[in-house]
Amino acid sequence: MTFIKTDNLTFKYRDDEPEVVKNISLEIEKGSYTAILGHNGSGKSTLAKLLCGILQPVSGSVIVGGYLTSNEQDIYKIRESCGMVFQNPDNQIVASVVEEDVAFAPENLGVPPKEIRKIVDDCLKTVGMEQYALHSTYKLSGGQKQRVAIAGVLAMNPSCIIFDEATAMLDPTGRKDIAAAMKKLNKEKGITVITITHYMNEAIEADRVIVLNRGEVFLDGTPKEIFSEVEKLKSVALSVPQVTELLYLLQSDGYDFPKGILHTMEAADILENKVNLKSIGGNDR
Amino acid sequence: MNSLSFKNVSVVYGEGTPFRKVALENINIDFPTGEIIGIIGHTGSGKSTLAMLSNGLLKPTSGNIFLENTDIWEKPKEIGKVRSKVGIAFQYPEYQLFEETVFKDIAFGPKNMGLSEEEINERVKNAAKFCGIDDASLKKSPFELSGGQKRRAAIAGVVAMDPQVLVLDEPAAGLDPLGREEILGGLISYQKQKGSTMILISHSMEDIAKYCDRILVLKEGGVFMYGTVGEIFMQAELLFGASLDLPQITKLFIELKKRGLTENTDVYTVRYAKKEIEKFLQ
Amino acid sequence: MLKDITLGQFFPGNSLLHKTDPRIKLIILTVYLIMVLAANTLVSIAAIAMITFVLVLVSGINLKIIAKSLKPLLFILIFTAVINVFFMKGDNILFEWYFIKIYKEGLMNAVLMITRLISLITGTSVLLTYTTSPLELTDAIERLFSPLKKIKVPVHEFAMMMTIALRFIPTLIEETDKIISAQKARGADFETGGLLKRAKALIPILIPLFVSAFRRADELAEAMECRCYKGGEGRTKMKQMKSHPADYVFLLVMIGLCVAVYFINSADFLI
Repeated sequence: MTFIKTDNLTFKYRDDEPEVVKNISLEIEKGSYTAILGHNGSGKSTLAKLLCGILQPVSGSVIVGGYLTSNEQDIYKIRESCGMVFQNPDNQIVASVVEEDVAFAPENLGVPPKEIRKIVDDCLKTVGMEQYALHSTYKLSGGQKQRVAIAGVLAMNPSCIIFDEATAMLDPTGRKDIAAAMKKLNKEKGITVITITHYMNEAIEADRVIVLNRGEVFLDGTPKEIFSEVEKLKSVALSVPQVTELLYLLQSDGYDFPKGILHTMEAADILENKVNLKSIGGNDR
Repeated sequence: MNSLSFKNVSVVYGEGTPFRKVALENINIDFPTGEIIGIIGHTGSGKSTLAMLSNGLLKPTSGNIFLENTDIWEKPKEIGKVRSKVGIAFQYPEYQLFEETVFKDIAFGPKNMGLSEEEINERVKNAAKFCGIDDASLKKSPFELSGGQKRRAAIAGVVAMDPQVLVLDEPAAGLDPLGREEILGGLISYQKQKGSTMILISHSMEDIAKYCDRILVLKEGGVFMYGTVGEIFMQAELLFGASLDLPQITKLFIELKKRGLTENTDVYTVRYAKKEIEKFLQ
Repeated sequence: MLKDITLGQFFPGNSLLHKTDPRIKLIILTVYLIMVLAANTLVSIAAIAMITFVLVLVSGINLKIIAKSLKPLLFILIFTAVINVFFMKGDNILFEWYFIKIYKEGLMNAVLMITRLISLITGTSVLLTYTTSPLELTDAIERLFSPLKKIKVPVHEFAMMMTIALRFIPTLIEETDKIISAQKARGADFETGGLLKRAKALIPILIPLFVSAFRRADELAEAMECRCYKGGEGRTKMKQMKSHPADYVFLLVMIGLCVAVYFINSADFLI
């Protein structure tokens, strides 16, 4: 079932500027985990904002959960069903205390106080921050702040969460935590996850990867399919996981290796196999 | 010759109170002139503290810091002079831009150094060139630039001071692969041309392995490892103990070593990895 | 450097003052302030001092913190004392040496003013800011003033602004520190020079700070909208405020003390 559908979506910030998003038509399935990759300036962040209704299309349309984002009266229904986690951990936190910030969305929706209490406790537990409920938001690390932000969005009980470069300002530990959270939300809670990123190791965890270039969809497929296209990705200023590139280079030198190997262990297995086959006497250069 | 040396340097906050906190403990490091040294460590390991010590923004609780054999705190009132010799670009430097034009902002540092107008002009043009800022951008307001360009303008502001030691704290943070390569590439060619010492603080083992000659690994305020890139990667498994993430290709070779296919783990670029693998596939 | 400001900070705890309904605390504070400003004899001001001291004890706040909060006032206190002791004229001279004349009225006034200042600061801190979390405070103000919504006063909006401002204070302080470090690293000098030079030197700090504040505001507004913020209409609150009889007793005690102070003022206990 489709949750988000765009139809010839086009957008530009000002009339005298070039189009940032050009004629994009895509469908995001409910419960899917999609990564949108692109170099800075490819239009990916703008696309994210169009998908959840923060920005309105210049032409074309975006339908979220059955509602048109350009219909003003439906905008809050869309906001409730499609939450967004932003890049800057600080600039999405409203309150000085963790649990007060997580309560922000349900308070806005007029949820009864006792229920809000339960929702806040549950959401903090989901992101692993329940011990920090009364903690000051200021003293948290970047990764912790983003987890609080995720809890705050979860508190609306959305069907979909869009992560707009949510890990770009974090250190490796923080990135790992958020990537794990994304996966958990998708696999355990069935939430549709869309992550906008330029980090390869995050994209390979998704079910589907869409590559944007200059406002248009350049590639669309599974991580394996996408990262096999080493030359194409390089042409749009993106890179591939190191092991993928390694096997690709060996392949162009004549060795027989499968395409789209993304993980370290997988690559190690393949290399070990190759060496063993050789020693058995096979020559499959 | 060492351009920067730390001897028994410690930074301790709240000594004698129950809130005692050690930011750095007993640091003894020499940074050789003309080399690119990478500093890596988990958050809180002391990287930023070390950076702030190097140009006198922070005073050590104990120990001495030498800039070309002179203790930088010998004359505390003249500590300002150190700042033109040791330049630091902090994280997300684009948040510090303020002037009317990019040119003026880059000129801020040289102006504070009291240089002549021609000298300032030349420095700004040079710095802009190395950092990939074209002439048209120099005339614009810094707030009109894109994120990546702002970053470059801010770094150019430090480069324009032509310091003997250039300290860069995560210069490529938050940038996409192309942006990372452009900024780091530009800075490396600047360093090669000037022969100055460059200290690169980063979370990315890949960048450090690719660009640096030497690596300093900090852990919990102390020196965990220090050596050439090759030396460090020969003991790559130890880096896991410092809560660091290794380049995928290195992890691959650690795994291959476990499976008895190779002895080498000092592999950190794809090109070298390819050579090594071709060796044992022959 | 800037992080040592204790004035205005919240110290969590379990004392009577922490547990009192913040709305009632606001009213108690108002009564207290009236009392402090009304006392104008030595005996009544001594009573104020005692009451303030009792409040400090009841709050459980460390005396060192109180002392820290008064440090910035030291100059004003000394200045006030000096002006009153040496320059106020009255009818009863206590001490004379060449042209220095110290009058009993001057001395009394100095004691009055100093005690008043200290009580004002300490009392407000202990009754309100130290023992009430920022959110409780803004909530209390919002609820107390909500009747004004009927005459179109944007009570909720003010309360929201206060909450957000309080939340961002430490963040902006940290950012200021970073900007100062970065500009210092480029040779900026904030210490030397005359008034004009030093004022100009602040531009490289103020401009980035303002630009940053606006950007934060933009991003925060977007995030708030995404979390369905639509103003105060229909908003509920997770934290409910319940006043207890004990709170009203506290209020009555404070009112009683206030009345007592008025009596002491007018009674002939003057020394």
